[in-house]
Amino acid sequence: MKLNLKFSLLLAWYYGFRTIKRGPSYVIASLSSPLTLLFLVYIISRGELVRFAIAGGFIGLVASVALSSSGDAAFLRLQLRIQDLYVASRVTPSDYMVGLTLSYLIFSIPGIVLYVILGYFYHIFTPLSSIYLAMILVLLVISTSSISFIISGSISHVRNVWGIAGILSIIMTVLPPTFYPYTYIPKVALYALFISPATSAAVLVQGIFGLEALYLPALYIIIGETAIYFAVARLLTRWREN
Amino acid sequence: MIETSDLKKVYKNGTVALDGISINIPDRVTAIIGRNGAGKTTFARIVSTQLMPTSGNARVNGLDILKDTKKIRNIMVSIPQEASPIGVLTPMEQVKLFLVGRGMSVNEANTVSSATLDELGLREFKNSPSDMLSGGMKRKVFVCMALAANPDVVFLDEPTTGLDPISRFEVWSAVKQLKGDVILTTHYMEEAENLSDRVILFEKGKVLEDGTVKTLLSRFKGKVRVELHHGDNYDVKVGSMKIKYVDSRDAEDYVIEGNTVKAITLDDVFLIHGVEVES
Repeated sequence: MKLNLKFSLLLAWYYGFRTIKRGPSYVIASLSSPLTLLFLVYIISRGELVRFAIAGGFIGLVASVALSSSGDAAFLRLQLRIQDLYVASRVTPSDYMVGLTLSYLIFSIPGIVLYVILGYFYHIFTPLSSIYLAMILVLLVISTSSISFIISGSISHVRNVWGIAGILSIIMTVLPPTFYPYTYIPKVALYALFISPATSAAVLVQGIFGLEALYLPALYIIIGETAIYFAVARLLTRWREN
Repeated sequence: MIETSDLKKVYKNGTVALDGISINIPDRVTAIIGRNGAGKTTFARIVSTQLMPTSGNARVNGLDILKDTKKIRNIMVSIPQEASPIGVLTPMEQVKLFLVGRGMSVNEANTVSSATLDELGLREFKNSPSDMLSGGMKRKVFVCMALAANPDVVFLDEPTTGLDPISRFEVWSAVKQLKGDVILTTHYMEEAENLSDRVILFEKGKVLEDGTVKTLLSRFKGKVRVELHHGDNYDVKVGSMKIKYVDSRDAEDYVIEGNTVKAITLDDVFLIHGVEVES
């Protein structure tokens, strides 16, 4: 797979950074859901689970931004016809997907900064755990963006775009043990929830931050999920249509 | 040059969009005209490698659309119907990104984008977010991409649909600056007459007429179109409108009788086939 990295990086920079700069309301909207959940967890657990919620906030934010982007990718394809413009050029589906995926990572940066500040005040980081967290977030953005591309490719009408994106984002980021200890749910439910990369990411992060026992199989699961979802997205992304 | 042989497209819902199109398009600017649903966009999308045909084949400058997809994509630009720039990006950013996607270095893309936007009269707006531009300006951004990329072939799918007359003229003026071969789909006859050397009329996935504007209009030499308000002696009836083609020397008599007399346009090539034209 030969990438036009210049194109992918420029797309990521323009689409990610320019959206933050010129449309800050989107950033606030993307932050509102994880911050509201953080507040609720704080109130309901009387502060006891707030460190889980902060750790989960990183996961929830990155995953929800990437999953909501299924609406975005479908909008670019169906409404703006930008994808068609690039289909009929040298740009490959991988260049386009990598560019958009990186733009969602850039788009998540203000939220990540906010959670870093919160994490600092609650002493949940060590230098090593921060590095692990960054690596998990990269895997998470790739896997969840790939799910977005798979879903967006199957949307045929703009009218369905935002509804499907919203449902997907909630199911795959709020249901998994993102904002609560993964040991609170039965193992069967946990295994079922591994279908969402947010689950394995959350389980790993809780272990890395010392909030729960480290469950190492989650690492293999997230690596496997990322590879599979990316490969499926690459196959199913509607590039040249039939 | 574009050649197609028995090109067919049947969508999953059974709609036959193209019904065996075999044409050669050797001219510099060719307009494919037809009503909505005539098959123009399907044709443009198949030939520009965005959509697979159900059967048949096409060649662009000798390259096979099924086997030489990558090579074709290197030599052409296709501007989709109703394409719209990404709102938060400026025209400069959109054109630059497009050129980098086509393999240009960032620095070169910067210089070329800036010069081309200036050339098309977008200097004042090139650094404003695209959602602040008018419809005409937005379309010009796409024509600018095609101009800056300097490809051998450009497909423009209904470049002025929905635009006001001033914006339409602005886009036409930009299209005239394109250097490669241009295939333009439109349902505006005036646009086809204004921009193209040759016109191909599509209706229900088939070619109705194919020729230069002059050839297509030659059958009406010395005639005018009369829209009859009185009498039933018509040549063509489209909806409730009755049309008769008469010698221009007799036009005055028809005016006196209270009918409307108009000069012949490409609309009439459509009308004689009983196909309604869109205004």
